[in-house]
Amino acid sequence: MPEMSGQGRAGTAIQGRSLRQIAWRRLKRDRVALAGGATVITLTLVAIFAPVIVAVLGHPPLEFHYDKIDPDLQVPRGHFGGISPDFLFGAEPVNGRDVFSRVVYGSRISLLIAFAATMLSVLLGTVLGVISGYFGGWVDTLISRTMDVFLAFPLLLFAIALAGVVPDRAFGLTGDTLRITLMVFIIGFFSWPYIGRIVRGQALSLREREFIDAARSLGARSPRILCTEMLPNLAAPILVYSTLLIPTNILFEAALSFLGVGVRPPTPTWGGMLSEATHWFQIAPNFMLFPGLAIFVTVLAFNLFGDGLRDALDPRSR
Amino acid sequence: MLAALAALVLVACGGPGRGGGTSSGTSGGIHNPSDARGGTLRYANSGDWDSLDPADTYYAYTWNFARLYGRSLVMFKPAPGAQGATLVPDLAESLGRSSDGAKTWTYTLRPGVKFEDGTPVTSKDVKYAVERSLDKTTFPNGPTYFNDLLDLQGYTSPYADPDPDKLGLKAIETPDDRTIVFHLRKAFSGFDYLAQTPATMPVPRAEDSGSKYKEHVISTGPYAFQTNELGKRFTMVRNPQWDPATDPNRRPLPDRITVDLNVNADDVDNRLISGDLDVAIEGAGVGPSAQGRVLGYQGLRANTDSASVARLWYTALNPDVAPLDNIHCRKAVLYAADRTGYQRAYGGGTGGEIATNMLPPVIPGAKRFDLYPSPKHTGDIVKARDELAACGQPNGFTTGISYRAERPKEKATAEALQQSLARAGIKLEIKPYPLGDYTRLYAGKPDYAKANDLGLIIYGWGADWPDGYGFLAQVVDSRVIRATGGNTNLGIRDPAIDQMLDQALLATDTAAREQIWQGIDRKVMEDAFVLPGVWARGLLYRPPNLTNVFISDGFQMYDYLALGTTRR
Amino acid sequence: MGAYVVRRMIAAVILLLIVTAATFVVFFLVPRLAGATPEDLASRYVGRTASPEVIHQIATKLGFTDPVWVQYGRFVKGLVLGAAYSTGPTTVHCPAPCFGYSFLTQNPVLPDLLDRLPVTMSLAAGGALIWLLAGVSTGVISALRRGSIFDRTAMGVALAGVSLPIFFTGLLALAIFSYWLGITAPGGSYVPIEENPLRWAYDLLLPWVTLAFLYAAGYARLTRAGMLDTMGEDFIRTARAKGLPERTVVLKHGLRSALTPILTIFGLDLGLLLGGAILTESTYSLPGIGKYSVDAVVNNDLPKVLGVVLVGSIFIIVANLVVDLLYAVVDPRVRY
Repeated sequence: MPEMSGQGRAGTAIQGRSLRQIAWRRLKRDRVALAGGATVITLTLVAIFAPVIVAVLGHPPLEFHYDKIDPDLQVPRGHFGGISPDFLFGAEPVNGRDVFSRVVYGSRISLLIAFAATMLSVLLGTVLGVISGYFGGWVDTLISRTMDVFLAFPLLLFAIALAGVVPDRAFGLTGDTLRITLMVFIIGFFSWPYIGRIVRGQALSLREREFIDAARSLGARSPRILCTEMLPNLAAPILVYSTLLIPTNILFEAALSFLGVGVRPPTPTWGGMLSEATHWFQIAPNFMLFPGLAIFVTVLAFNLFGDGLRDALDPRSR
Repeated sequence: MLAALAALVLVACGGPGRGGGTSSGTSGGIHNPSDARGGTLRYANSGDWDSLDPADTYYAYTWNFARLYGRSLVMFKPAPGAQGATLVPDLAESLGRSSDGAKTWTYTLRPGVKFEDGTPVTSKDVKYAVERSLDKTTFPNGPTYFNDLLDLQGYTSPYADPDPDKLGLKAIETPDDRTIVFHLRKAFSGFDYLAQTPATMPVPRAEDSGSKYKEHVISTGPYAFQTNELGKRFTMVRNPQWDPATDPNRRPLPDRITVDLNVNADDVDNRLISGDLDVAIEGAGVGPSAQGRVLGYQGLRANTDSASVARLWYTALNPDVAPLDNIHCRKAVLYAADRTGYQRAYGGGTGGEIATNMLPPVIPGAKRFDLYPSPKHTGDIVKARDELAACGQPNGFTTGISYRAERPKEKATAEALQQSLARAGIKLEIKPYPLGDYTRLYAGKPDYAKANDLGLIIYGWGADWPDGYGFLAQVVDSRVIRATGGNTNLGIRDPAIDQMLDQALLATDTAAREQIWQGIDRKVMEDAFVLPGVWARGLLYRPPNLTNVFISDGFQMYDYLALGTTRR
Repeated sequence: MGAYVVRRMIAAVILLLIVTAATFVVFFLVPRLAGATPEDLASRYVGRTASPEVIHQIATKLGFTDPVWVQYGRFVKGLVLGAAYSTGPTTVHCPAPCFGYSFLTQNPVLPDLLDRLPVTMSLAAGGALIWLLAGVSTGVISALRRGSIFDRTAMGVALAGVSLPIFFTGLLALAIFSYWLGITAPGGSYVPIEENPLRWAYDLLLPWVTLAFLYAAGYARLTRAGMLDTMGEDFIRTARAKGLPERTVVLKHGLRSALTPILTIFGLDLGLLLGGAILTESTYSLPGIGKYSVDAVVNNDLPKVLGVVLVGSIFIIVANLVVDLLYAVVDPRVRY
C-alpha cells in the first residue's frame, strides 16, 4: 500500500488517524476520565484479589469477633464502630465481623453482577436495536413497542416480585450461584431497552448512508451488511453506553439487595449491608458509611470514565 | 378438640411487625400514677392492624387495645402484675355460671349499656357478634375458639342464615334481652377465657357491613372512632354514650387517642424517644438502635421497663430431614451450638436469658435444666463430634437453616449458628422466607421443609398467659401437624409426649399438672427436637409524659386502658 | 392532531392491557407453573388458624380455582364495567374502574391508591421544583462560565449526585440533619398539606432535597450541554450582533431552545416518579404509592400490585403523550 506522504519535512509522514487513535489521544488528555479509569481498574483488581487483600489487611469476611462487641448495647466497642489498624472500617454490630473485609468482598458481587448484566443487556439491546433499525417496517414496530412496554413497567417492582418467586433450586443451580444468575438476568433483561433505543436510532440513520447503499448494490445480503458494515460503526456508541450502563446496574443491584431480594446471607453485598445498617446507623455509623461510600466511589469512577470516553469518541460533546 | 383447647389459651406468636410478648411484669407498681383527665395519647404501630373488627383480630396488643372501644362479657382486670391476669366481669354482671358439667354457660348483662348511637345493648347483639365471628371466610384473622367449642350443628355464618333476625344459631340462646346462654360440644371449665375475647363484644346487626365493618366499628367502650384511614391512622374520641356507672373497671384518662399505622419500626422508636409519640403499640420492646441509645444514656435508661416474657426463641431440629432423623445428629447440633451467639442475636442480656430447655421460667411450675451443658454456654465441640460419630457422620454434614426474612434477629441467629456449628463440621445453608408465608407455605409445611432440606427452622413461640399447657400444646403435640401446612409444631413427633398432654388434661391437681409439663419439657429435650435459644425479655420505653403506666400480666405489656398523658 | 391523539390513546390502552397481562403472568401464572395449588395461593390470605376447608373456601372466593384467563378477564371486566364483591351480609358494587379488593386486607384498592397518591405527589412536586430550579440554573451558570471554578465544582458535585444511591444519601441526611443536628423532621413524618402546609413542607424538606439532589445533578449536566450547544449557534450570534443585552440573549434565546430536551426528560421523570418513588419512600417511610407497592409485592397481594402497576403505567404513558404534544407546541417543525 502506498504511503500517504505529504509535503512535510523529510522523514516525517503525516498519517491518517483512525477514530480509535483520535479518541485515545483525547482520552489521554482528560485527566479526570483517566483517574476514573484508573479507579475502575483498581476496583476490579480489588474484587479479583479480595482474598489476598483481606488476608493481609483484614479478617475473613464471615468470621465473628464477639470480643469487639459491647454485650449490652450490641455495638462495636471503641470510636466510630471500633475503627483501628486491626479493623480498618470498624466492626459490624452484634457479631463483630470485619466491615473492611465485607466491603472488599462486596465488590465482587457488585461488579460481577453489574458486568454480566450489562453484557446481557448490551447483547440483547444491540441485536434487537440493529434489527429494528435496519429492517424497519413491522419488525421495527414490534420491537419498538416491546421496548415501550418495558419502559412503561415499574421495573423495580417487577424485579422484586420475580426475585421472590424463584425457588431455592432452579435451572440446576443453588445458593449464591443461583441468586447471582437470577440478578444478572433480571437486571440485564430489564435494562436492554435503554441500549436498544440508542442502537436503533443509530442503525436507522446508518441505513440511509452511502456505504450501506453501496454494499447493498454490490449484492451483499442483510446478515453480511449487518455484521460487517453496521456493527463496526455502532461500536463506539455501544461502548460508551455500556460503560455508562455499568454504574446504573451497580445501583440497580444495590437497590435490589437493599430491598432484600438480592444474594442471600451471609455473603456480603453493599446494598445488603446498607439495608441492615438502617437499624444501626444512629449508633454504629461505620456500618452505613463504608458500604455507602464503596457504592459511591465505584459508581462515580465508572461515570467519570464513561463521560470521558463519550467526550473522546464524540467530538461534538463536551 | 385438643387443638381447640390449645388455641383457647393461646394468642399465637408471629404475624406482622415485631410480634407480641408475654411478661411477668418486673415492675410490680404503677409509674406516674395519676387520675388527671385530658390530652391526646399517641400510639404508633410498625405494621398494620390485622383488623379493628372484634371478630377478626388475634394479637395480644389488639385485644389489649380493643377494650377501649368494645366491651366483652368478661375482661382482664386493668391492674399491675399478676392482678392483670385475673378475669373480671365487664358487659356481664358476673363471671360465667356453668351448669350441665361445664357444658352450658350463662351470663347476665349489666343494664344501661349502650352503643355509641344510644341504642341499648342486648344479649342478641352479643349473640350476633359471636355468630358472625364464626364466618372464617369473611373474618379469616380471628381465633377459632367458638367454631371449635360451640355445638354448631352445621351453622356456618349469619350471612347464610335463613332466620330473618339472623340469630339462627341453636348453640347460643337469648331467653331475654339481658341473658345469654352458651351450649358447648364438650365440657370446658375455662369458658370465661373465651368470653373475654373481642368476639363477644356486641355488634349491632343493622350496622354490620361484614368485611367493611372494620371501617367504622360501633363502640360500646369509653372511646368511639372519629376517623379511620385504613392502613394509615385512626383517631378516637370519648364516647358520650359510655356510662361510667355501668363500668366499674375503666377509668379512661385521655380525651383523644391517635394511632399511626405502618410506621417504620426504627422511626417508632425514634419518635418515642424524642417525645413525638407516647406508646409503641405492639409492646414488643424497642429495636436494636434505640436499645443502644436508651441503655447508653442514663437519663433515658431510667424510663425503661424490662419485662420478662413467657416466650421462647428457638430453632426446631427437623427429624424429617436426613441426617437429623438420627437423634445423635440432632444432639450434635445441640452440643455444637454457641448459645451466647443466639443470645447476642436477640440483643444480649437485654433481649433475654439463654434458654436451656423449653418452658420459660416465668411460667408457674417451669423448671430449668440443661441436658447439653457446655462451659459458659459456648458449646462443647468434643461431645458434638462424639455424637456425630455415633450418628455415622464423623466429618459432619450439610443442611439448610430457614428464617423469616423480615426479622433481622432471626437472620443474625442463622449467621451465628452457621458459624458455631461449622466448628463441628456441620455446614448450614441459610434460607430466608417471607414472614407471611413462613408456616403456611415453607417451614411449617412438612413436604416443603423436607424437600428443601430445612433441617433447622428458626422460630419463636409465646403463650398468652403463664400456663404450661398453653405454651406447649401447639408446638409439641404431633396430632396438630397438618400436611397442608400452617403448622407451628415443626416436627416434634413423639407418642409419649402426646400421651402426657392427654394426661395433663385429666389432671385436676395443679401440682400434678405442673409435674407433667416438666416431664414433657424434659422429653422434648431428651429427644433433641429443639435447640432452645432465648427466653425473651422486652425493653419497653415509657416517655416521661405517660401517666399511670404499668405492665399487666394479662397482656404482658403496658395496660392500654389505664394509660394517661400529662401532655395537653 | 386530533387523529394523532386518538391513535396514541388507542395505543396507550393496548399498552396498558399488555402491561397488566404481564403483571398477571408474573404474579399469578409463574407461581402456578412452579407448582403452587389454588389453596397454596389462598393460604396467604387466611388467618393463622384456618382449617383446610376454610382455605379451600377462600381459594374459591378469591377465584383462584378458575383458569388464569378467566381471572384476567374478570379483572379487565371490573375495570371497564365495575364489579360486585361480597362483604358477607351484602354485596357491594365497586363502580368502574374497579381495581378490585385487596386479598389480604379486603380493602378496595382504588380508594387506597387515591389515598396515597397525595403523598407521592407532594414528594414528586416539591422535589421536582427544587431540582428543576437548582439543576437548570446551575447548568446555565456553568455553561456561561465554562471552565471556571464554579463550573468544575458544580459538575463535580453533579456527577457525585448521580452516583449516590438515594437509600444512602437518605440515611446519611437523616443521621446528620434529623438525629444529630435535630433541624429536620425524623423519618416517617408526613402531614397532609391541607392540614398544615408549614408542617407539610417541614416534614418533606429532607426527602425533597435528597430526591432533588439525585435529579438536579442530571439536569445540570443536561442543561449545561444544551446551553453550550445553543450558545454556539448562529442565531445567538445574530442576537448578540443586534445589540441585545446579554441577559436577554441567554435567557430568551439560549435557554429557551436548550429547554426542549429538558422538558422531555422532565415529563418522563415526573411520570415515573408519580408511579411511586419506591426507594425514597422506603428510606423515609413515607406512606405513598411506592411504599404501598413494595408492601403489596412482599405480601403477594395481586389486586394491589395490579392497581399500582396500572396507575404507574398510566402516569408514564400520559407523561409520554403530554411531552409529545408539547413538542408540537414548542417546536413548529413537528407535525403529526
